[in-house]
Amino acid sequence: MRERIDLEAPLSGDFQAVVRLIIGGIAERVDFAFEEIDDLQLAVERLLAEAGTIGSVRLSFEVGANGIRTRVGPLSEHKVAEALRDGDAMPGELTLRRILQTVVDSFGVDESDDGRIVVRLEKLKGVG
Amino acid sequence: MNLPRGNHASADARRATSPERAREEDRELLRRYHETGDTTAREELIQRHLPLVRSLARRYAGRGEALEDIEQVGAIGLIKAIDRFELEREVSLATYATPNVVGEIKRHFRDKGWAIRVPRALQELNASMSGAIERLTGRLGRSPSIAEIAEELKTTPEEVLEAMEVGSAYSTVSLSSGPTGDEELDPLETIGGEDAEFERSEDRAALEPALERLAPREREILRMRFEEGLPQTQIAQRVGLSQMHVSRLIRKSLALMREELLR
Repeated sequence: MRERIDLEAPLSGDFQAVVRLIIGGIAERVDFAFEEIDDLQLAVERLLAEAGTIGSVRLSFEVGANGIRTRVGPLSEHKVAEALRDGDAMPGELTLRRILQTVVDSFGVDESDDGRIVVRLEKLKGVG
Repeated sequence: MNLPRGNHASADARRATSPERAREEDRELLRRYHETGDTTAREELIQRHLPLVRSLARRYAGRGEALEDIEQVGAIGLIKAIDRFELEREVSLATYATPNVVGEIKRHFRDKGWAIRVPRALQELNASMSGAIERLTGRLGRSPSIAEIAEELKTTPEEVLEAMEVGSAYSTVSLSSGPTGDEELDPLETIGGEDAEFERSEDRAALEPALERLAPREREILRMRFEEGLPQTQIAQRVGLSQMHVSRLIRKSLALMREELLR
């Protein structure tokens, strides 16, 4: 059975540490390794960095026995979606897509009714 | 940057000679480096004076910063002293380097100190976490969980998580003054075969400009993480840093790159 935690946080950088701490606390309950927690925190941190600094963002965490599904958004910054929809990065390029490919097990982008986007991240326990 | 740890031969040799002889040898190495650009002489000077750095770094241990990090910072002061030493000076390199090393360490604590007021107990927990993670990774053969780190440090998982964030808060201060300015450029970046190899890499030509603004060690760490897909534990072993330090450098580097892209 999956449990869900919802959070709405200001996008300003002052609250990023709070978001990281909460992710750490949730991931600890799933018994993620230190490095897995760090990966998920990094994924969310880089996404939020691209999401601007105005307003707030909603984060939703679905906690299962094997991992955590995270939804970030709706976000109005369409360049996030573009960055994630682009093809694979060239060798030597370091794009948001490549970062997420490295630190989470899967990710995707959903369009919300108002045209904004929600980014889905899935991080599994004990993979890779 | 790999603070050389295994090579004590030079230091041993230095101890075995008289102070006068050691000073003469230092002077000869300084002459070779400054007059002919002999970088092997520079590296030997670094090796010879690392015990001094370690000794000075130990004075600042227990202030919420891992000793290995303080030693790395102190080594930067040593290298600056070697690079700035003027052969006309009458003082020994050790005498000249000491205030440089101490100054670098103090500056580190001042400029890169705790960005927020952090309880001393959490600072100390943060400082001891790095060693605990290394020990557990070695023992378990994998990255430890928070519960395992907490058990190792005889504390609670919540305190470990808080201590992790304490480390993040303190380390972000140095981001914007990173490796782009000459003064902040880490002289130790010039040491080590891997960095040199990376400079020659064909991939380098394709790197984004922002990536190229990073110091070679940080670029190499990013390349290992995001191109080779190596886990932090393996990167830490390759570059001779703790896993926590690698994690911090990755975060710092990505944030710095973004700052550069927005300029």
